[in-house]
Amino acid sequence: MRALYIALKDLKMRLRDRNTLVMMLLLPVGMTAIIGFAFGGESGISTVEFLLVAPEEGGFLAEAAAGLLSHHELFDVERATEEEARRAVAAGEKSAAVVIPEGLLDSVLTGAPAEVRVLLDPASNIKAGIVQSMIEQFISYLSAGSAVGRGVFETLDRAEPLGDSEHLALWGWMFMWMRDAWTEPPVSLDTSTTDTDDLNVHAYFAPGFAVLFLLFTMLASAKTIHEERESGTYERLMAAPLSKTSIIAGKMTGSYVLAAIQILTLIALGGLLFGIKWGSHPGATIIMALVTAAGATSLAMLIAAAARTGRQTDSVGTAIILVMSLMGGSMWPIEQAPEAFQRFGRFTFNYWAHSGFKKLVFDDAGLAGITQEISIICAMSAVFVVVAVLLLSRRRI
Amino acid sequence: MSGEPVIKVRNLVKRYGELVAVNAVSFEVAKGEIFGLLGPNGAGKTTTISILSCITPPTSGSAMVSGIDVVTDSLTARSKIGVVPQEIALYPTLSARDNLMFWGRMYGLPDRTLTRRVDELLSIVQLSDRASSRIDTFSGGMKRRINIAAGLLHRPDVLFLDEPTVGIDPQTRRNILDLIKELNAEGLTILYTTHYLEEAEFLCDRVGIMDEGKMIAVGTRDELTESIGATGVIAVRADGLNDALIDWLAALPAVSKVARSEDGLTLNVVRGADLLPTVVEKLAGSGVDIHSLDVTVPNLESVFLHLTGRRLDEEHDEKS
Ligand SMILES: Nc1ncnc2c1ncn2[C@@H]1O[C@H](COP(=O)(O)OP(=O)(O)OP(=O)(O)O)[C@@H](O)[C@H]1O
Ligand SMILES: [Mg+2]
Repeated sequence: MRALYIALKDLKMRLRDRNTLVMMLLLPVGMTAIIGFAFGGESGISTVEFLLVAPEEGGFLAEAAAGLLSHHELFDVERATEEEARRAVAAGEKSAAVVIPEGLLDSVLTGAPAEVRVLLDPASNIKAGIVQSMIEQFISYLSAGSAVGRGVFETLDRAEPLGDSEHLALWGWMFMWMRDAWTEPPVSLDTSTTDTDDLNVHAYFAPGFAVLFLLFTMLASAKTIHEERESGTYERLMAAPLSKTSIIAGKMTGSYVLAAIQILTLIALGGLLFGIKWGSHPGATIIMALVTAAGATSLAMLIAAAARTGRQTDSVGTAIILVMSLMGGSMWPIEQAPEAFQRFGRFTFNYWAHSGFKKLVFDDAGLAGITQEISIICAMSAVFVVVAVLLLSRRRI
Repeated sequence: MSGEPVIKVRNLVKRYGELVAVNAVSFEVAKGEIFGLLGPNGAGKTTTISILSCITPPTSGSAMVSGIDVVTDSLTARSKIGVVPQEIALYPTLSARDNLMFWGRMYGLPDRTLTRRVDELLSIVQLSDRASSRIDTFSGGMKRRINIAAGLLHRPDVLFLDEPTVGIDPQTRRNILDLIKELNAEGLTILYTTHYLEEAEFLCDRVGIMDEGKMIAVGTRDELTESIGATGVIAVRADGLNDALIDWLAALPAVSKVARSEDGLTLNVVRGADLLPTVVEKLAGSGVDIHSLDVTVPNLESVFLHLTGRRLDEEHDEKS
C-alpha cells in the first residue's frame, strides 16, 4: 500500500515536469518526423523529381513518353542529357533518371526489342523505388499499347492497306488513350495494406525512437532513487516505518506505469500523426508495448542501481542507451548493416523491441508471431530486475 | 530527571572503516526535555541521530527510544520517532499539503485522520494560506517549517531535529526556535543538534557536547560551567578604591580572585550576575565613584574551549 503511494507520488511529479513530457512525447515524435522525412517518408513526398533523357532524334514517341510521364501528378520531370543525368543522380541531386532509347518508336511500332533504362540514387531508395515502379508500369502500358496497336493495324491493313499519315494519326489516338488510361486508370489496385505501408518510413522509425526515448524517460525516472538520496527524502523514507522493499517496489511501479503511459501514447500518436497502422491485432500491439515498457523500466533501474550517484546514472546510462540503440537498430535501419553487426545487435533489448514492432506493422503478425520477442524481453527484464533489487537492497547509505 | 528516560543511549559506536564517527557515546533524555547535541562539523551529531532514527545501524552499543530498541525492533521504534533531517527533505515540485499528505501516508495514517492532522500542522507552522503552493516557491524559512511539520504528522513521542536553523535569517530562526519551545511546552521530548552555542543555551534543558565522535560532557549549562570551574568576570572602572574594600571583596565566598587594574579592578566570580548587586552596593556605600561595570558570564563556549582547547565557532565553515 505504501509502495503504491510512493509510485503515485513519483508519477505525479514526473507528469508535472515539463522536461519529462518533452522527453516522453515531443522528442520521439519530432525525431520520427525528421528522420522519416530525411529518409523520404511517404507523407513527406508530394512529387518525385527525376530527369528524363530522350534522344534528339527520338521523334514524337519520345516526346509522347515524356508527356505521359510528366502528366502524372506524382512526377516533376526535367529534361537532360544522359551525362548530366548520370552526374545529377550520382551526386544525389535527383533521385532517378529515365533514359529513353533512340529506337523506342520503332520498337513500339514493330515490336523490335528496346530498353528503357532507369538510373537510381541508392541513398534515396524510397523515391527511387517509386520512380522505378512507375516506369515499370509505364513500360507495361507501352508494351501493351504496342501489342494492341500492331494487332489492330495488322487487321486493318489486311482489310484495306492504310497510308503512312493514317498510321500516324491512329498511333496518335492510341497515345491519347494510353495517357488517359495512365493518368486515370480505369482499373486500379488498392495497395494500402501492402505497398503504402512498405513506403511508410515513419512506421519503421517510430518504434525505434519510441524505444530510445522510453529508455531515456526510464533513466530519468530511475535516477530519482539517487535524487531522493541526495536531497534527504530517502533518509526520511528510511526513518518512516516501512521496509526497504516497499520503497524499491514503489519506485519500480511508478516507473513502469510511466513507461506504459509513454509507449501507449506514442503508439496512438504514431497512428494519428503519421498514419502508422500498428497491425490488425490490437491485443498483440498492447502486449508488445507493455512488455517493452517492462524491459525499459528494468534496464534503467539496473543502471541506476549500479551507478553510485545521479550524475553517474545520467552519464553512464546515456552512453549505454545510445550504444544499445545504435546496435539494436532503434535509430537507423540495421538491416543494411553487415551480418556480423546485426548478430551483435541481437544482444540488445532494443533489437527485440524493434523486431516485435516491425513484425506487427509490416508482417501484420499476431501474438503468435511475436512470442520470441516477448519471451526474450521478459527474460531480459527478469534478470535486470533481480540484479537491480539485489544491488539496491545491499547498498548502505 | 524523573521517570523512565525516553531516550537511552549506551556505548554507541559507529565506524566507517578507519574513522570512528561515534565513539562510545552514552546519554539519556527524560520525558519532556529538550536535549541539545552541541558540537563542531564532523563531531558525529548527525550520525548519532541517524542511528537513533533507525537509518544507520550502529557498529556496537544500544539505543532505546520509548523503551524500544532501535536496532532489534526498528519498525516499532520508527513509529515513535519524528525525524527532521538536516536537509530540506521535501519534494520541491509538490505542494506543501501534498508533501505532508505523502509523508503521513508513509507513517500509515488513515486518510481522514491525516487530512485533519495536516490542517492542524499547517496552522501550527503558520502556513495554512500557502498549503497548495509548491515547495520550490517557498522561502528558506518556510521550507524549514514544513520540514519540521513533516516530522510531527504521526504524533511522535520524541522529535529529532538536526540543525534545523542552518542557513536562515535571524528573524526566521527565532521563529523556529519559538515553535520548538511551543512544541516542547505541549510535552514533546526533543533531541536537538546544533553548532550554535546561543541556540543550545536558549533552547536546551540539558546539553551534550560532542567532539570527534566522543561525548565530552553532559549536563545543564550551569552544571557544565561549574564542572570546569569556569568563572564569570566583573570588571569595574572606578575612582576611590582602597585596600580595605579589596580585602572585603576577596573575602566573599563567590569571589575567587581580585586584581587591581590601572583604572579599577577585576573580580573572578562563580556567578557574575548574581553577585553584581552586592558589589555595586558596597562600592557605592564606600564612596567609590563607579565609571563603568562589565560582566562576563561563563557559557558553553568556555566549556568547549576548556575541554578541547579550541573555540567552537571558529571551526565552522559557512553552511548554506
Ligand atoms: N556514510 C558515511 N561514510 C563515511 N563517513 C561518514 C559517513 N557519514 C558520516 N561520516 C563521517 O563521520 C563523521 C561524523 O559525521 P556527522 O555527519 O555525524 O557529523 P556532524 O556532527 O553531523 O557534522 P555537521 O555539523 O557538519 O553536520 C565525519 O567525519 C563524517 O565524515
Ligand atoms: Mg550533521
